[in-house]
Amino acid sequence: MNNATLIHIGRFIGFLIFQVFILKRLSIGWEGPVFFNFILYPLFIILLPLRTPRVVVLSAAFAMGLLVDMSYDSLGVHAGASVLTAYIRSWVLGWLEPRDGYNVNHSPNKARMGAPWFFRYASLMMVLHLLFYYSLDAFSPVFFVDILLKTLYSFPLSMIFVIIVTYIFDPET
Amino acid sequence: MRGLLQLFAAYGGFLAFVLLEAVSLVLIVQYNHRQKEIFSNSWGLLSAAAERQVDKATEYWGLKARVLELQARNIKLMEERDNARFSTAVFRDSMQVDSLAPMFTFIGANVVSNSIVSTNNSLRLNRGEIHGIKPHMGVIGSDEGIVGIVRETTNHYCRVMSVLHSQTRIKAALRGSGYFGTLTWNGSDPLRMQLEAIPKHAELAVGDTVQTSGYSQVFPKGILIGRVESARIEPGENFYTISVRLFNDLSKVEYVYVVNNLMREEHEELDQAGNE
Repeated sequence: MNNATLIHIGRFIGFLIFQVFILKRLSIGWEGPVFFNFILYPLFIILLPLRTPRVVVLSAAFAMGLLVDMSYDSLGVHAGASVLTAYIRSWVLGWLEPRDGYNVNHSPNKARMGAPWFFRYASLMMVLHLLFYYSLDAFSPVFFVDILLKTLYSFPLSMIFVIIVTYIFDPET
Repeated sequence: MRGLLQLFAAYGGFLAFVLLEAVSLVLIVQYNHRQKEIFSNSWGLLSAAAERQVDKATEYWGLKARVLELQARNIKLMEERDNARFSTAVFRDSMQVDSLAPMFTFIGANVVSNSIVSTNNSLRLNRGEIHGIKPHMGVIGSDEGIVGIVRETTNHYCRVMSVLHSQTRIKAALRGSGYFGTLTWNGSDPLRMQLEAIPKHAELAVGDTVQTSGYSQVFPKGILIGRVESARIEPGENFYTISVRLFNDLSKVEYVYVVNNLMREEHEELDQAGNE
């Protein structure tokens, strides 16, 4: 077990604790789509190294989602959304591939890939994750408009924390 | 086992995704009240719709059996009618002893091929010797009208000379007045036949019904054939020239009954005795 793996395991725990003990308390909801919901834990999936096997990405995302679900009392909803996000990650990466390709030993983070690229990547992943999450939460295409509105409200709130965390830690692995 | 490993190596990501997503969905439906309600509601709608479709399909599959069942029931009713039975009513000791013996039975059949375009048309039915079909049996339509007379039979099929045939001679009578003549076909219109040999003193009106006379042993008496469409007497002739509009359309006949006369042999014996 090398250093990078330990860092990512530590990050897993860190994001989990931050999401469950701090961001969950900041979330305030009213009836309807107006809903302060801060979702940060997908950043863990976003930052996983490029060479991580797909099965590992999926399993880690599932574990993260399941643990978040346990505190949010919505067993399966975050897990399902995380697995979808993890699965879609390689396609998003393929989409945003720079002209000279990726260095597979790197992680897709701001320090390695630059701020414009990273925030484009992170915001795309966050939008997709929120869309998946609210879809599974509503669980019916009937609430299509609600799903979109909730995604729209939560996205900037969550992105604030993504940006803050990225600029505070700015990790290289 | 090796193949399985190779499969997992190639599609491992996808398989893991499907597995984990399925687990998540099961958890969502199991442990979340609202999603559970939505799921069971949608599932109920879906299964009801699926069941309806299955019902529709099986109904269609059941149609064949229904047709046979209805054919059997129709045959039973047709055999109950007076024209299909032989009345042995006689006065004996000033009492009418009445009993009816079966005279005609019917065999349901499907038309497997048909033609109407030549002057000598024939049909093929999916019933043959093993079903009791013999040459010279009559064939009538499933609702009204006559279709033809069996000519050749094999084990499973028979060939029927259509009434739309230049050699057709069917003994037909006017319903009501009872004047009888011979029905022929002139080879032009599959909906019209010609009734010949109705004497010119017969009372006749356009619209009169033409039925089988029952004088031949091929068809029971009183099978409806058609309606008089036009009738005239050519100068110097003693018989009407009558055009009969058929009740049945032989160009789309599908289900038919073959008429089996149980007393045919007696008639044949009489014919032979007369010839000697």
